[in-house]
Amino acid sequence: MIAPYSTAIPESNLLSRWEVRHKLIGLMALIFSFSFIRELRLLPLVILVSVVIYSLSQLSFAYYWSRIRLPGLFLLMLALILPFSAGNTVLASFGPLALKLEGTLSVLLIAVKFLCIFAIVLVLFAGTPLQKIVGALRSLGLPALLAEMLIFTNRYIYQLITDLRQTQVATGLRGFKGRSVKALKPLAYIVGTLLVRSHNQSERVFQAMTLRGYGEESLVLKAEQVQIFDRLALAAALLLATGFVFLQLNFFPAS
Amino acid sequence: MHIPDGILPVSVALSGYAAAGGLTWLSLNRIKKKFKNPRELIPRASLLTAAFFVAALIHIPVPPTSVHLILSGLMGVILGWFAFPAILVGLFFQAVMFQHGGLTTMGINACLMGIPALLAGALFRTRRYFGVNNKVTNGLLAFLGSFLALVSGALAAALLLIYTITAQLDVAAERAAIITLAGAHLPVALLEGVFTALVVLFLLRVKPELLEMEEK
Repeated sequence: MIAPYSTAIPESNLLSRWEVRHKLIGLMALIFSFSFIRELRLLPLVILVSVVIYSLSQLSFAYYWSRIRLPGLFLLMLALILPFSAGNTVLASFGPLALKLEGTLSVLLIAVKFLCIFAIVLVLFAGTPLQKIVGALRSLGLPALLAEMLIFTNRYIYQLITDLRQTQVATGLRGFKGRSVKALKPLAYIVGTLLVRSHNQSERVFQAMTLRGYGEESLVLKAEQVQIFDRLALAAALLLATGFVFLQLNFFPAS
Repeated sequence: MHIPDGILPVSVALSGYAAAGGLTWLSLNRIKKKFKNPRELIPRASLLTAAFFVAALIHIPVPPTSVHLILSGLMGVILGWFAFPAILVGLFFQAVMFQHGGLTTMGINACLMGIPALLAGALFRTRRYFGVNNKVTNGLLAFLGSFLALVSGALAAALLLIYTITAQLDVAAERAAIITLAGAHLPVALLEGVFTALVVLFLLRVKPELLEMEEK
């Protein structure tokens, strides 16, 4: 089941109160700086920063776990393949398979960066309503057409999921099981019907919106007032991000 | 085909953003030139984007397992130049709602899906040379566009991963990984091609205007 976009961090939390534009820039800079790390000795610092930010958000570990299961599969796949296929230094042998040092270290680097970036991404989105994120992106230069598409798409996803579920129940009640490749044709027709219904609905939506004044001016989203805390938090995040890049470039240039 | 965060070097991730930015600009520019009032089309493009997002949740049974479709080829066929912004929007929601894909890799992921989608759309539009109502050419072009979109996207993703994850991978392992990844995507690409052709033939019969959004 898909959970609607929602904010899991309480509104009173420090990170929820951080002005969205500043939060986006700060946390994105931090995410990219994590991505920049190639030196294993910097990983404890990356973990520390991520744990502190995640703890500040008051999000639970259960929330983190519930969200990471699906994307974690990709990491699991890498962890199963890379240690046995990359490098020359053999750590242990299991029949024809040889566990190699270089591959294992690569997986460690990727896994820590992935898990830490994941935590920051959760903090970013779980603490900010979508309208505010789109507003912030718009003020940072996102084209109006894309911003409006984000808002409208979010509005219709849940309704279409409900429509699809109803169609699946209806076809199921008529005896459609869909357990073999033969189901391809009826499923294609279900998708075709979904597209036709969406298209028809969009005509009505556009007419209704035009009557309410849509099209006269671009979607305007209210800008938030910037406090001293927002600037300080942004400065701290940028300092951390720059620090990681500086450490990587100056102390471990060869890695 | 959704590369998560932390896997690719930051230079590749930033190049992905630059390429996606350029393609978004190109798409929006073409949309503005093609349509008198592009904002008129936003509700339609958004609803169709949501529909594609939802359609990709449908699992096709391939015993003993099932696969979900990507439908980038079908997006190119129906949305035309709107396909690239629509894919960006879809990737944003996938990253936000399922944490599927990533934020640093959103540009690269958009290119991996968006460029083949635009090419599939362009290929489908060559149907005007064969007759827009010709069922065989409609089905064939939709199949080919969708099949090639998935194969090229998967191959590009595989090459990107293999050549950027680690320099320690030996040649034999690289070759094996490419063959395995490409081989694993081939049946899905075939399924996706047939599925797209079936949807296009259905639309041709029921609502041909949906296939003409870009041709007007």
